[in-house]
Amino acid sequence: MTEHLVTPHSAGTVGTKLRVLGLGACALFALAACAPPGSGSQPAASETAPTEVSTELGDEPVELTLYDGAGLKAKDEALIEAFTQKHPNVTITGRYDPDDVQAQNAPRVLASDDPPDIARVIALSDVAGDGLLTNLDAYADAYGWDELPEGQLAQYRVDENGVRGEGPQYTMADGFTVTGFYYNKELAEKVGMTEPPQTVEELEGLLAEAKDAGIVPIMAGNQTGQVMTTTQMLLNNALGAGSINEWVFHAPEATVDTPGAAEAVATVQDWAEAGYFPADTNGTDATGALGRFAQGEALLYASGNWDAAALDEQMGDDVGFFLPPAPEGNEPATMSDPASNFAIPAGSDAKDAAAAFLDFLRSEEARQVVADAGFAPSGEGEVPTTEEGSVKAQIQEAFARLVEADGQVQFVQNATNGLTTTWNSEVQRLVDGSTTPEDLLGAVQTKYEDELGR
Amino acid sequence: MSSLDGSTGPLQGLTLPAPPREEQPVRVDRDAQAPRPRRRRKKRRKNWIGWLFAAPAAIMYAVFVLRPLATSIQYSFYDWDGITVGTFVGLDNYVRVFTDPQLLSSIGHAFFLIIFFTVIPVSIALLVAGLIRELRSKGLGKLAQTLLFIPYVIPAAAAAIAWSWMYATTGAVNQFLTVIGLEAVTRAWLGDAGWALPAVGLIGTWINLGFCTILLMSGIGKIDASLYEAAKLDGAGFFQTFRAITLPGLRQEIGVCVTITIIAALASFDIVFMSTQGGPGYSTMVPGVQVYQLGFTESRIGLASALALVLSALVLAVILPLQKFFREK
Repeated sequence: MTEHLVTPHSAGTVGTKLRVLGLGACALFALAACAPPGSGSQPAASETAPTEVSTELGDEPVELTLYDGAGLKAKDEALIEAFTQKHPNVTITGRYDPDDVQAQNAPRVLASDDPPDIARVIALSDVAGDGLLTNLDAYADAYGWDELPEGQLAQYRVDENGVRGEGPQYTMADGFTVTGFYYNKELAEKVGMTEPPQTVEELEGLLAEAKDAGIVPIMAGNQTGQVMTTTQMLLNNALGAGSINEWVFHAPEATVDTPGAAEAVATVQDWAEAGYFPADTNGTDATGALGRFAQGEALLYASGNWDAAALDEQMGDDVGFFLPPAPEGNEPATMSDPASNFAIPAGSDAKDAAAAFLDFLRSEEARQVVADAGFAPSGEGEVPTTEEGSVKAQIQEAFARLVEADGQVQFVQNATNGLTTTWNSEVQRLVDGSTTPEDLLGAVQTKYEDELGR
Repeated sequence: MSSLDGSTGPLQGLTLPAPPREEQPVRVDRDAQAPRPRRRRKKRRKNWIGWLFAAPAAIMYAVFVLRPLATSIQYSFYDWDGITVGTFVGLDNYVRVFTDPQLLSSIGHAFFLIIFFTVIPVSIALLVAGLIRELRSKGLGKLAQTLLFIPYVIPAAAAAIAWSWMYATTGAVNQFLTVIGLEAVTRAWLGDAGWALPAVGLIGTWINLGFCTILLMSGIGKIDASLYEAAKLDGAGFFQTFRAITLPGLRQEIGVCVTITIIAALASFDIVFMSTQGGPGYSTMVPGVQVYQLGFTESRIGLASALALVLSALVLAVILPLQKFFREK
């Protein structure tokens, strides 16, 4: 075994290599000193706020592109079909990326040379601040969008400082998610629950009863951060829907690091210690949790409308839905954010037609399409028809109550792009006892301020 | 019996084979093997023909490796969201990489993974290769090669998902432990802050073991059989032969195994991303996943680039001395 080993380099080679490396390094540093990245991608400000708008679509053929997450395709295609039936001269081509890819790519797609005409936007304040979206105020005047419920309009507005909730309107949602507790009716009977709990105390009593009966009180797949759902329900009660929304919308000085919030988070930790979540919750993902709830392992499952179809199919009449109980004397509040928050990119060349599509989203037809797809409808009006007594019907009723109470709360994980990871990781540590409620809120608030550059 | 006789296939003559997975590009010493021309001046005139042949590859390399590398270096000095105009921040991003405890701990986790990605698979592979050599059974050797190589053929992302099912409360791992009477230790392995990182590491062991075994077995085949015969005549046992003949004979192959698996550990992404996403808490966070989150989720291109470059530098700092060690006689 003589030739197995490679001969070492000669000194000359090393010298040459060093020279090449040196040259390369010089070139790289020269590059680092040139124009900053991202120069020259800004649309002119005039394009973002049209003043002359029309609500007439005419007869000329118009081609639109709609950009959304692939998980929302069925709903979007149904909406497109309903819209183009009314306006045959308009064709809308759907363009879909996987949901999380769409969320991450949207800013880049909006900034591209050929942006879509209608696009779901999640990081609204970043994107609007970058001048990538059309200011819709002129359309709002023309179509009368100011009559929409205030709680919905707030989700469409961004001011010049990137604070959401006020300022010009940039988006219109086609529908909303709704979050609450699914319950297993058979197990509910076992623990003596005749009607959904009206107070947190009643809920806590039920959880204890379930635990004593050997039933998992709340199913949660915390590997994907599902204990957060319960946590935010308690936070909503502690801080109020308004404060949470202000925090998510980046209002100046907003904080979740308060004693009241700590108390709510401490309750979650107590519940975890008492075994109110499955013992392996940190090793269970959302899909697994859904399956285990459907198989009758747990009394409650804190989740949203997106699981309704699956649960309806697997559990039929055995599953019910209720909004999380509010503190005594308060109106209900729960997480409910846009299904697809559609904006018109600044670079779109068919803004009038795109705006007509946005206006269509609050029509009776669109509301029914969205409800059929399992979401809560946009705007106001009759509750869309659903199969009576089904879990979907209960969700629609719950949403109608929520809109009436103006109790739509944004998900705290969506406050900044990086916060989902922080909230989820921290709540995993909360459940296994490796952090305290105060440290959790401190870590979240620090991350929030770090990302916002405060 | 030469390593240059072609029997080693694609590995022949390289100090480092191209990495088979999507790891960081490995710097290959292209000129390490090329005979250096003695009379440079005369040759230089003809050099352009060489460049012509190298051009397609060189252009691809420049466009898809060197240019992104250069832009990463540029971005690392900026605070940039990927869209708007970036702000020059000097070394701030690097300061952050070296002071943020969360980023530092992720680097620590990557080094911990070396135990599972490198130390364990290479040790076991050495033993397996030595034993199969000892048994001199061609059929068994082929069978072992095939079986052990299968994990390497399966995409790591798919393996990670399958393993996360096996690690679940009711999964195969806990079923097995229950059967052998160890019910007390069963748990949701990936959901336990103390066990998640070793559990993730074990997936890496499973994947890398096959690759190392194949490489070492082919290396062992090239060791002059007369050496083994002589050792046998001298009355050497398995472990003596293993230490005196197999180990030194496999030096170069071990070097390749160690290099590739260490890179896989330090630059790990797919296994962690698909099984735990860095959780529970931050217990399995590694720089690869961190870079992804910073760059693509949080749109902090500058900080992500800085961390990625630090990671590349760390990989080189670990690999280059090892390369030297395994090359020396």
